[in-house]
Amino acid sequence: MYFPLSHPWAEDETLGEHLERRGVTRRQFLKYCGEVAVMLGLSQAMVPEIARALQEQRRPSVIWLQLQECTGCVESVLRTADPTIGDLLLDLISLDYQHTLMAAAGKAAEQAKQDAMEKNRGSYLLVVTGSIPRNEDGIYLTIGGRTGQDVLMEAVQGAAAVIGIGACAHFGSVQSARPNPTGAVGIADVIRDRPVVNIAGCPPIADVVTATVVHFLTFNRLPELDGEGRPIFAYGSRIHDQCFRRAHYDAGQYVQEFDDDGARKGWCLYQMGCKGPATFSPCPIFQWNDHTDWPIGAGHPCLGCTERHFWDTMTPFYGRLPNVAGFGVERRADTIGLSLALGAAAGVGAHAIATGIHRARTRQAPNKEPADLPVIPTEKKSEEDPNG
Amino acid sequence: MTGHARAGEASFTREAPVQYKRVYLWHWAVRAMHWVSVLCIITLAVTGFYIGRPYFTSSGQAINHYVMARFRFVHFVAAGVLVATAMLRVYWLFIGNRFERWDALLPYRQEDWKNMWLVLKKYLFVEPWKAPHYLGHNPLQQITYSFIYLVALVQILTGFYMFGLADPGGFFYTVFGWVGPLFGGEQVARFYHHVLTWVWAIFLPVHLYLTVRADVVHQESRISSMIGGGRYVRADVEFVDD
Ligand code: SF4
Repeated sequence: MYFPLSHPWAEDETLGEHLERRGVTRRQFLKYCGEVAVMLGLSQAMVPEIARALQEQRRPSVIWLQLQECTGCVESVLRTADPTIGDLLLDLISLDYQHTLMAAAGKAAEQAKQDAMEKNRGSYLLVVTGSIPRNEDGIYLTIGGRTGQDVLMEAVQGAAAVIGIGACAHFGSVQSARPNPTGAVGIADVIRDRPVVNIAGCPPIADVVTATVVHFLTFNRLPELDGEGRPIFAYGSRIHDQCFRRAHYDAGQYVQEFDDDGARKGWCLYQMGCKGPATFSPCPIFQWNDHTDWPIGAGHPCLGCTERHFWDTMTPFYGRLPNVAGFGVERRADTIGLSLALGAAAGVGAHAIATGIHRARTRQAPNKEPADLPVIPTEKKSEEDPNG
Repeated sequence: MTGHARAGEASFTREAPVQYKRVYLWHWAVRAMHWVSVLCIITLAVTGFYIGRPYFTSSGQAINHYVMARFRFVHFVAAGVLVATAMLRVYWLFIGNRFERWDALLPYRQEDWKNMWLVLKKYLFVEPWKAPHYLGHNPLQQITYSFIYLVALVQILTGFYMFGLADPGGFFYTVFGWVGPLFGGEQVARFYHHVLTWVWAIFLPVHLYLTVRADVVHQESRISSMIGGGRYVRADVEFVDD
């Protein structure tokens, strides 16, 4: 749960001093730094450096824009079972603008944002959830009378780094699914002049967000990103290659129905449409809700939400392959393929019969039309050997 | 003298026995490539359909089975062999004889298109005597085989792309990483990799049938040419590519 600070920040206090005042022990803090190092794939030798860098931080300003989105990402990022030091860290940044959490409203809220951007120009962290609608000059999303793109581009100018959270900021998520009526795109499609981190997922895991922020605070640069802008420390390998049901996959043991024996035994969900083989995400390792569980752990196939355009390409969610449209009803590709192959075989048979009939006809009426090749004498060798 | 020279056209009518000559078409390497590919493609299709939709499951403890893993292993090995063969065939497109070269696989002359039409009509029993004769591939074969090579290429690219996903940053991931986005996503690439197998399932019976038919109906000894390398053809028939 998010709760207001019991010990508000004093002016110019460092994070180390502040944590001490809040009763966080050194041991707890180092443990957290160790966990973050593991998450980021860093050696434990880096822990003192992470600790030092974090301790010396002076309450970084964060501006969080919520654009075309559902607030699910905010819920995911904030809602953990008990306030871990991870949440604490989020509390401890100066979250100067966040629709859902801020007390201010209307003009006061917008003024707070403007002030924060002025004061911390060039050093604040910009966090964005939500996509940008581009059709009709972006009128599908306006905040304070300005379009989403306008609001975003203004905030981007003075930001030290831009972190997009969730599938909407990544590529537009469900609102960008075909036919995409509002022309929604991800923020990286409008921010061209600087790297954008995409914490992909619908919603993403809170710890990945925290770890990315810590990385930025520690090293003063963004973590290494893949081609999609996703931090490699988290999105570096496929769900399928980290999945604990993988032994059943390799053994050929698949759930066929949600309530069958295989499902009870925890077999692989491949046949239920699991998109783990196509999806790069840390879910099996980080897991959700204070590391309680994750979709495949709970017996549900992966939907592939960390991949671009998953609403279009990963559907049907409970089928292995996309459907084929254009046959009146949607039909499975294999049904069509099999029909065509059988059709070809039947066509071949029919053609063979037609050939027989055609030959017989040609023979019976030799003068009506010439054969394509004269019929060869059956006893060709008896008269004269062609090879001499 | 049963069944001798029944054709109506005067020029074909003769009492003299038919003369044959042997032409050499396919180098043993090309024949080997053909049959290795046949084996690989059938293996790939059978294992591939299991991977796409496991048509049986094992029971008991997972530790006692390795079904899918073995299928995938065989699939990958067969794919490797097929690609190696394909690379050799591409090399042979430039060093092979005139029946094996690249230009024998592309109907690029205007005359080829006219002949293709005639061949097509022959198969539809329309004026079959007008169809030209070829020693090597006729234009219809040329375009079919080029098309099927293209299908194989798409499957190879998508296959290597998916193979690479297991090892991000590795060779296949780096070299073939562009394929997925080109198709618009991993699942779309997977879809084409899968459904294009049906093109082979359609190609195979037609290819088999037309080859057997050429041998039975026209005594073209096509099948044995892919085994022994040469054909016995009638000396009195004119061939376009002679
Ligand atoms: S449940 Fe999904 S991710 Fe896990 S092994 Fe099966 S197919 Fe792979």
